[in-house]
Amino acid sequence: MSKLFPTYEVGSLPKLNARVKATRNQEVTNYEINRVKSLAKQVGVDYGETVQILEKAQAGISLEEKSLLADFNALLYLRLQESLGFDHVYDGEARRKEMYQHVATRVDGFEKTPEMIRSRGPDSWRMAVCVDEPRLKENSIDDLILREFDFVKTHANKSIKVPIDDPYMIAVMSDNRYYTDLLKSKHENDPSKLRYEAKREFVLALARNVIKPQVEAVVQRGAKWIQLDIPAATLDVGHMPIVVDGVNEVVKGIEGVKFSLHICYPRRVSLTEKSGYELLFPHVLKLNKNVDHFSLELANADNYESDLAVFAKYADQRKYEIGVGVVDITLEKQQRWEIETTEIVRDRIQRATNTLRDEKLVYVAPDCGLRQLNLERCIQLYEIVNRGAELARRG
Amino acid sequence: MKLGGYLNGPFGQSQSLYEIRNEWKRGRGLIEDVKKLIKLETRENIRLQKEAGLDYIVDPMFGISYLFQPLSETVKGVSVGPQENWFNNNVFSWTPQIQGPLEIQTGFSQKYIHLDELPTDGTAMVILPSPYTLLMLSHVRGYGDKREAITNLAEVLHAEAEHLASKGVGRIQYDEPAIVVKESLGSLTQEDLDLLSRGMDICGRVKRAKTSLSTYFGNAGPIIPSLLHLSVDCIGIDCTETSINDIMKHKYSKKELALGLIDSRSTSLESPREIAEKIREIVKRTDPEEIFLTPNTGTEYRGYTHGKNKLEILSETKRILNE
Repeated sequence: MSKLFPTYEVGSLPKLNARVKATRNQEVTNYEINRVKSLAKQVGVDYGETVQILEKAQAGISLEEKSLLADFNALLYLRLQESLGFDHVYDGEARRKEMYQHVATRVDGFEKTPEMIRSRGPDSWRMAVCVDEPRLKENSIDDLILREFDFVKTHANKSIKVPIDDPYMIAVMSDNRYYTDLLKSKHENDPSKLRYEAKREFVLALARNVIKPQVEAVVQRGAKWIQLDIPAATLDVGHMPIVVDGVNEVVKGIEGVKFSLHICYPRRVSLTEKSGYELLFPHVLKLNKNVDHFSLELANADNYESDLAVFAKYADQRKYEIGVGVVDITLEKQQRWEIETTEIVRDRIQRATNTLRDEKLVYVAPDCGLRQLNLERCIQLYEIVNRGAELARRG
Repeated sequence: MKLGGYLNGPFGQSQSLYEIRNEWKRGRGLIEDVKKLIKLETRENIRLQKEAGLDYIVDPMFGISYLFQPLSETVKGVSVGPQENWFNNNVFSWTPQIQGPLEIQTGFSQKYIHLDELPTDGTAMVILPSPYTLLMLSHVRGYGDKREAITNLAEVLHAEAEHLASKGVGRIQYDEPAIVVKESLGSLTQEDLDLLSRGMDICGRVKRAKTSLSTYFGNAGPIIPSLLHLSVDCIGIDCTETSINDIMKHKYSKKELALGLIDSRSTSLESPREIAEKIREIVKRTDPEEIFLTPNTGTEYRGYTHGKNKLEILSETKRILNE
């Protein structure tokens, strides 16, 4: 019998502060080095060479040493997730600068904006402007995904779930100048139609030329579960068909692989009769059959019953596994020193299970990736997720 | 007719501001340093607006993360709720949780903007949420119905607007994206228009200050007749969402018209000459009391350099039309 309420992480962790400072040739303090040692010891990762590099960081470190630090960081996070009890793991995206930029900088046809764009509070991203048909840069696939995947595959002791950006997410985080200009004369008097059609063309091009090649590459190397990250799926209430078409374009023709979609912060105040994850329906019924799992942010809003009711409503047409977000990962909670208890997590799992009416559909996860938080809090959240799931299993 | 112009939303942040904020977030920097830089950059941005010859000067809102923040964090009875995307942007807002009825409490916006940096000659403009958008994007409890709720919210906003006017602010802009987005989504009803009208009846007139209702992110075309009846001095229209032909179907002789012809959400650079031509045509057909050129919304969606580019377009268009 398979394990009830399997757990996984969604994606990112903040990079080790010691590594960040070392790669900037800044002095790494004894406290930071000791923290690295203690974490590594705790999860059984060898740290000798890493500490040597950190200690001399201020004098400058080589590219090879930077790469060793990245390996160390990735292995540390992999072991951290395994030791804390996650059933499906990855490397905390330790090699990715940031989810969007990691991809956008490797796309021909993209130009970066001069500054970061603020997205929420202190968070920002480096937007790219699409000025030509987007295509992966030559020889970029190794740095983009293969090196990290091969490393994880070599070292992982548990099942691997690979997070990859969804084309729709890349599109909404970019300035779609190319396709807008291309279609302007055709839809000049209908700004809404122009935006829709330009976005659709953009998303499909990204799916074909940028995302699918990554998916195919890791599948060829043995990936069995791919999570497409699409936080902004419900951003444009009327654009859901584009979301679905983008995913299907990526997944088309790839068999023997499980696909999941990570979605967060849906439009719960939508100004239409539907809101939250209801906005996904009925469109997602048309997703490729291999997409059978949604990883959802639910703890921030804490409306499990109303958020998940729509999945139960459509269950007779299509059942999806749900990765239930059980801990709020927002910076504001960290700043207020608020954190869930294992009992709260257990209760949330039970609320989700009661709403979905099928415990086999329920997986357990944080609301989203954790890169904006400090590492100590991330570890606490990981512990709470896994202990809460264990409590829920006991009933 | 002389063309006026102003910025009508948050300005793109600089890379330095991003970096110092990020260091603070990661525990590698101090919040005092962030605040200091916000103050300096606000001063510089205000200087740029003046240099560009704008008719109203706004705080660039480097210290505000989202429209409702001052109200949510300061007014008793309102708290910060779950985060939401700000309409169809990859930018977040937090849903206000309103336990009404709210008591009048003035000065809530002052902590977040730099009134002391704004001009004192009546050309300062401050942006507040419109009562209808606030109502529609909040979780509201404690009222008998929506009309009662919007009445109370509009009273709170009106008191704040009067307070700001007493401090020398010459124009209050109420941000009203929700009504036109509902129109674009096909979910707008007469009740919505009645609620908007009720709200503006209460907060739309301010002693010693002009008022604007700035609509954006949606098509205002079909509801222009209703907008023209609102108790407000100026109607702002997002021309990237609203067809110029629809705007030109109406006369605006008792209203000021602010045309959002500069697209803040695109890095494409408009031609000032082409914009000037459109404005000439619109003025000829619509006869507004006054005419302003603005971006369609704040320039924050594409960053600081982009904001400066759009400011230059605004300034150059004004120069072409007013020379």
